[in-house]
Amino acid sequence: MNKPDVIVIGGGLVGSAIAYGLSKNARVLVLDEGDRAFRATRGNFGLVWVQSKGFGAPHYARWSKRSADLWADFAAELKDATGVDTHHKRTGGVHLLLTEQEVAARAAMMEQLRREAGNDGYDYEMLDAAGVRSLLPNVGPRVLGASFTPYDGVANPLYTIRALHTSLAARGAQYSPGHTVSLIDKEAGVFVVRTDKGSFHAPKLLIAAGLGTRRLAELVGIRVPVNPQRGQVLVTERLAPGVMGGGVTFTNARQMVEGSVIIGDSQEDVGLDNRTTVPVISNIAARAMTCFPVLEKAQIVRAWGALRVMSPDGLPIYAESKTMPGAFAATCHSGVTLCAAHAREIAGWIAGGARPEPTLKLVPERFDVPKAA
Amino acid sequence: MTERFELAIVGAGPAGMAAALEAKARGLSAVVLDEQPRPGGQIYRRAEARDARLEAALGAEYAHGMALTEKFLAGGVAYRPNTTLWDLSPELRLSVLRDNRAGEIDAAHVILATGAMERPVPVRGWILPGAMSVGAAQILLKTTGAVPDKPAVLAGSGPLLYLLAAQYLAAGVEVRALVETQPGANYRAAAPYLLPALWQRKLLLKGAAMLRDLRKHGVKRWQGASSLAVEGNDACTALTFAVNGKRERIETELVLLHEGVIPNVHVTMAINGGHDWDATQLCWRPRLDAWGATSVDGVSVAGDGGGIWGAEAAEHTGRIAALGAAQRLGKISEEARDRAASHARASLARLRGARQFLDLLYKPAPGQRLPPDDVIVCRCEEVTAGTLREVARIGAIGLTQAKTYTRCGMGPCQGRMCGPTVAALVADERKMPEASVPPYRPRAPYKPVTIGALAAAVDADTPPPDASAGAH
Repeated sequence: MNKPDVIVIGGGLVGSAIAYGLSKNARVLVLDEGDRAFRATRGNFGLVWVQSKGFGAPHYARWSKRSADLWADFAAELKDATGVDTHHKRTGGVHLLLTEQEVAARAAMMEQLRREAGNDGYDYEMLDAAGVRSLLPNVGPRVLGASFTPYDGVANPLYTIRALHTSLAARGAQYSPGHTVSLIDKEAGVFVVRTDKGSFHAPKLLIAAGLGTRRLAELVGIRVPVNPQRGQVLVTERLAPGVMGGGVTFTNARQMVEGSVIIGDSQEDVGLDNRTTVPVISNIAARAMTCFPVLEKAQIVRAWGALRVMSPDGLPIYAESKTMPGAFAATCHSGVTLCAAHAREIAGWIAGGARPEPTLKLVPERFDVPKAA
Repeated sequence: MTERFELAIVGAGPAGMAAALEAKARGLSAVVLDEQPRPGGQIYRRAEARDARLEAALGAEYAHGMALTEKFLAGGVAYRPNTTLWDLSPELRLSVLRDNRAGEIDAAHVILATGAMERPVPVRGWILPGAMSVGAAQILLKTTGAVPDKPAVLAGSGPLLYLLAAQYLAAGVEVRALVETQPGANYRAAAPYLLPALWQRKLLLKGAAMLRDLRKHGVKRWQGASSLAVEGNDACTALTFAVNGKRERIETELVLLHEGVIPNVHVTMAINGGHDWDATQLCWRPRLDAWGATSVDGVSVAGDGGGIWGAEAAEHTGRIAALGAAQRLGKISEEARDRAASHARASLARLRGARQFLDLLYKPAPGQRLPPDDVIVCRCEEVTAGTLREVARIGAIGLTQAKTYTRCGMGPCQGRMCGPTVAALVADERKMPEASVPPYRPRAPYKPVTIGALAAAVDADTPPPDASAGAH
C-alpha cells in the first residue's frame, strides 16, 4: 500500500476492530503475524459479557456495558457490508454456582457491582436452587444457585474477524499477514515499522498486538505490562439446538449457532504455552456434566488451549505515547465484548477525537503506583 | 488406573507388530494399543480370521500378513485392541479410551505406528451416495467380505486402484471402467527410476499381472483423465471426465475414487514434532532420524506414518524403531543395535529404490488437488473451494487462519479429510510454495471422547472447582 495514514500492528479482534473504524476516513495498513501466532481471537469463548466485569472499577463496568449496548448496531453494520453474520445475540447471562461458598461470594460481588454502578443502574438477579430449576430445567441437581443479568450475550468471534477483514479489504485498507516486526522508529515525523518482509511508513501508528504489545509498545515509549494467562476449552460435536435450555447464555458452556457446545475455561499462569493438559480438560468436563447432565454422552471433538492477554488488574490499557506522539497502544482480554466500542470510540479517539470517558483511567500510569510495603 | 510399560506401541499393523516382536526379543516390557478389534492394520485387516474365499481374493501378501499376525498374537506382548489414543503428553503419558472408559498408560518410549490414510479426492459430486473411496471399499471387502452388487467405476491413480480392481474381478464384481488420472508426463518423470525398481521384480510382476487381469476381463481403461465429476442429484448416476480434449461420460451408480495414500501425521503434528514437506508424495512427513525417532524426546515413528513405503518396509522400520528404543532405554549396546538392524536396513534400501518409481508415476496431477469453486472441500462443515479461495485472498496464509474464517476442519474428522486440499488451495491462491503453508495444528482429543468418560476420571464427591472464577 502506498503511503498509509495509519499502520496497525496486530490483526486480531482488537487491532482489526480499530482498523475497521479508522478505515472509514483513512488509509489503513494492518500488519499481522504468521499463521501460528498466539491469537486470543481464535481461542476465546465469544461472550459479549458485562456481568462480573469491573468489580472495584466501575468505569470498566461502564465501558463493557457501553460496548455491549453498541454491539447490535455494529453487528448489523458488518452484516450489511459483508454478508457475514456474526451471530450476535443479547440473551441475558447466567453463572451457575455449585457450593454454598460460591453462592455467598457471588451474591456479595453482584451486590457490590450494583452499589458501585450508582445511577447507571445494574440489574441482576440471584436465583436459588428452586429458582434455577424452574427457569433452567436442564441444569443438574447439584447446582445450588445462579446469578443472572440481562446485559450479557454472545457473538461468534471467528465470523467477526472474518467480517472485519472482509470489510477492511472492501474499504481499500490492506491486511497483510506473515510479518515479524523487528523495529519501530520515527524519522522526520513519520513512523517506520521494519519487519522481516520490509519497511512500512505512516504518520500514525497503533500497536494492538496482544501479548506482543509489551515488547512493541516499549519501542515507542509506552509501558504495557501484559502477561499470558492460559485458558483451555472443549468443543463437542453438533448437538440439538437448545440442548442446555433456558434460552440464556452460560459462562461455562455455550452452544454455537452451528450446534457445537464449547465448554471451559480455565485460568493458568504457564507462560507462552498454549497446549492442552488432560487433568484440566477432565475437570472442565466434570464441571460441565455436573451443571448439565444432558451433556454426558456428547462427544468432545477437540480441546484447545489459548492465551489471554492479561494486565496486572485484568483491565484494558489504552495509551498514546508521550515521547513519540502519534503512536498508540491498545490491549485487553475482552476483545469480543469491547469490539463494538473499539470500532467506534477508540478508533474515533485515535483518529483525533475525544478519548471516551470510561477509558480515562485505563492508562498504563495506573501501574506506576509503588506497592505498599 | 495407570499402567506402566517401558515401550508403548500405537497401532497393530505390520510396523507395530514387528516392533512389538523385536522389543520383546530385546527384553523390553511393551504394550500395543490398537483401535481395531483385531491386529493386522488396514493392510492385513482380519488376516487372522482365515477366510479361504477372502484369501483367494486378496492374494499371497495376505498370507504373509496372517503369518505375522499369528506370530504377534502368540508372542506374549501385552495387546489392547479396541483402544484409542486420544492424548499423548510430553511426559509420555498416553490417555486412552476403551469401551468408552478413559485410562492411562505411562511409557518410557513410544512408537507411533499409525499408518497411512487416503489422500482426499474432492471432485465435483464426491460426497454423493454412491461415490466412495477405494480405501473404504477395501475395508468393507476385508472386514465383512462385502462386495458391491452393481458395476463399479474406479477412478484416480495409484497401486491400490489396480489392486482393488483385481480383487473385485476375482470376487466376481463387474468393473465397468478404470479411469486413470496420472498425466502422461509422470511416465517420463518416472522412467529413469525403472531400473532400481527392477530389483523389486516381485512388485513389478504383481503390477503387470494386475493389468493383464484387467485386459482379460475386458475392463475399459482411460488414461490421462482430468476434471473428474460425479453426476447425480441424490445419488451417483454417472462419472464424467475430460480426456484428449473431450468430455466422456460413463453411467454408473458406484464410483470408487483414489489418489494414493499419505502418512497419517495427526499425532506427530499434535505433539509438535518437526515435519518436512515431501514434494514428490505431496504430503507432510515427520522428521525422523535413522532409528525412526522424531524431534520429540522418546517418541518414534514406524511404518507408513513416517512416509509411504508400503507394508513390507513397515515391518523393517518397525524393527529398526524397536531396536532404537531398546538401545535408548539401555537394553542393548549401540553395536548390538547396529548389528541387529543391518538386515532390515538392506531390505529397506531395496524397497525404497523401487518406491521412487511408483511415487513419480502416481504423483497427483497439478490440478487434481484444486477443485472448482462449487465443490465442498470440508465435508464436516460444508465449506466450498470457492469460500476457501476467498479467505485466502482476504488474509489466510495457513490452515489455522483459514479455519478461523470458515470453520473448515472443525468437525468430527478434525481436518484429516480437508487439510491437504485446503493447503493446496491456499498455496495456489496466494502463490506460496505449499511447504510454507502451515498445516492444521491438531489437538487432543485425537479421536472423539465423551464428556462422561472424561468426567469419570474426576473425583465424584467434590464438586469440580470453578476454574473460571466467574471472571467473564
